[in-house]
Amino acid sequence: MDFLQLGSYTFSSRLILGTGKFSNATVMLEAVRASGAQLVTVALRRFNREQPEDDLLGPLSAIEGITLMPNTSGASTAAEAVRAAHIARELSGSPFIKVEIHPNPQHLMPDPIETYEAARILAKEGFLVMPYITADPVLAKRLEEVGCASVMPLGSAIGSGQGVATAAMIDIIIRESGIPVIVDAGLRSPSEAAHAMEMGCGAVLVNSAVAVAGNPPEMAEAFAEAVAAGRKAFHAGLMPKSGSAIATSPLTAFLGAKE
Amino acid sequence: MRPLPDWLTDDRETAALAAMLSPDSSSSLEALAAESKAITLRRFGRTMTLYAPLYLSNYCSSGCAYCGFASDRKTPRHRLEPDEIHRELAAMKKLGISDVLLLTGERTAAADFDYLRRSVEIAAQEMQRVSVEAFPMSVNEYRELAGCGCTGITIYQETYNRERYEALHRWGPKKEFFDRLETPARALEGGIKSVGLGVLLGLSDPVEDALCLYRHLRHLGRTYWRAGMSVSFPRMRPQTGGYKPPFEVDDFLLARMIFAFRIALPDTELVLSTRESAAYRDGMTGLGITRMSIESRTTVGGYDDPENKEKGQFEIFDDRTVKEFCAALRKKNIEPVFKNWEPAYNGPSEGKIATIQPGKTKPCH
Repeated sequence: MDFLQLGSYTFSSRLILGTGKFSNATVMLEAVRASGAQLVTVALRRFNREQPEDDLLGPLSAIEGITLMPNTSGASTAAEAVRAAHIARELSGSPFIKVEIHPNPQHLMPDPIETYEAARILAKEGFLVMPYITADPVLAKRLEEVGCASVMPLGSAIGSGQGVATAAMIDIIIRESGIPVIVDAGLRSPSEAAHAMEMGCGAVLVNSAVAVAGNPPEMAEAFAEAVAAGRKAFHAGLMPKSGSAIATSPLTAFLGAKE
Repeated sequence: MRPLPDWLTDDRETAALAAMLSPDSSSSLEALAAESKAITLRRFGRTMTLYAPLYLSNYCSSGCAYCGFASDRKTPRHRLEPDEIHRELAAMKKLGISDVLLLTGERTAAADFDYLRRSVEIAAQEMQRVSVEAFPMSVNEYRELAGCGCTGITIYQETYNRERYEALHRWGPKKEFFDRLETPARALEGGIKSVGLGVLLGLSDPVEDALCLYRHLRHLGRTYWRAGMSVSFPRMRPQTGGYKPPFEVDDFLLARMIFAFRIALPDTELVLSTRESAAYRDGMTGLGITRMSIESRTTVGGYDDPENKEKGQFEIFDDRTVKEFCAALRKKNIEPVFKNWEPAYNGPSEGKIATIQPGKTKPCH
């Protein structure tokens, strides 16, 4: 069986689902179930212990077979993210933490410096650290060195639906990485998820594309199928791509010809 | 006369916005609405973040011609004491509110910085997110407030038209146009994480004001790259004191402004308060607005004592309960979000740039 390995955890599903932006908790939970996702991310800022109707942690915890990965979305520094990780672990009981540090709340681009620092501290403390990063091959290796369980480079800006605009960089990250590479953010369609998986990603994380779809559970299922297809294709080995046609009269026929 | 800063008058940056706002714009309102809706859905999903205002005090030292709390009005004055603030917040929490905006008038001895700081401290114990709409402060004061748990400052320029500004703000500290203009920058400099800007629609030419507002936001965004920003669209309503706004902004122009801002600023929070009617707010849900106030009181306090018949700063047009309002949101397939912040992220924003410590580096030869 082909499993996704994150720390000591194994998952048969390679689709990770985000839980924000849904029209209500019922639809979100239906989408989670339909996606077959076993790892689901939820923002600490959406934990609401005082008001169950507004809380995302409670209903997600009730689903069997799901591992929660709290995220630090809203944090703008390493110190804030570390604080958030501690609270999230206490409330959710999960060893996973998706380190998401975007100091500019407008474009939500991850801060590589603060992310590296938070990841270093949290990995040392025993968290399974899943850092959300720009598609930077050097940063990815630095994060692997400090003990992250995966790296999560963005395909394009959060919520932009621009697909894997960073494919060339993600290709390098995959080639060099010793830990799973998970494309996070920017995916709009299942075909883009399939593409990321064909490239050799360990998993993809999808949120907006499912949450704002006309029928979120159906879209979640479509993503699950695309991710499985993409993974199978990667496993089967794609035929090599050639950039130019092969000449019928070979250009190198003269080589080795007898005088 | 001190000249206006270049960033406020440079119209190259606002050409696209101006084209959308122009009364003879080639973009139909319907086309703008469709584009605004698509951007909002993509960036913010099917959610609406909710907050409620708490008026701490209606003492005021300024003479704003349009305001029900101006210092020459006969409005009875008082302020909430700590135990009353606790009671008000408890009543708000019962409604589900966890994001509060604390308000005061301009700085007075009765409601000064120390009073505001203590109030923020109390609110930060009870609420998940605390922001403030009060008087302009110094960088150090803002830093102190951020340290007590204040994450956002709302400060409207009211109008960017300097002549009109000076005529409308008849006396008091608010008369200083530039002091007001520079306040959001001071808040961000002091480590406040987000600023809310706006113009009071009706005071001056609304399109001219909207373009200046946009330039102000862009200027702040460039200078303080970590800044969170939001834009409100407060439209003049009949005030205590009977002020008639000279520039009427009708429903169509307000809608055009909201859509145009969403298109020009796809990532910025856009706010619409209970100054607007239930029908208008419901109509705007999902089309561009991402943050709304609920079950607001514009009297000092008022959540703990619903029988309070006192007149507020302005009249509320959407007086639905939290329950009614949330039901209307859900009917439009939008989730009401009460908590969208985590107090672990409180504290002054770190604007500093790390520097090399002396003695830690070796000279390179």
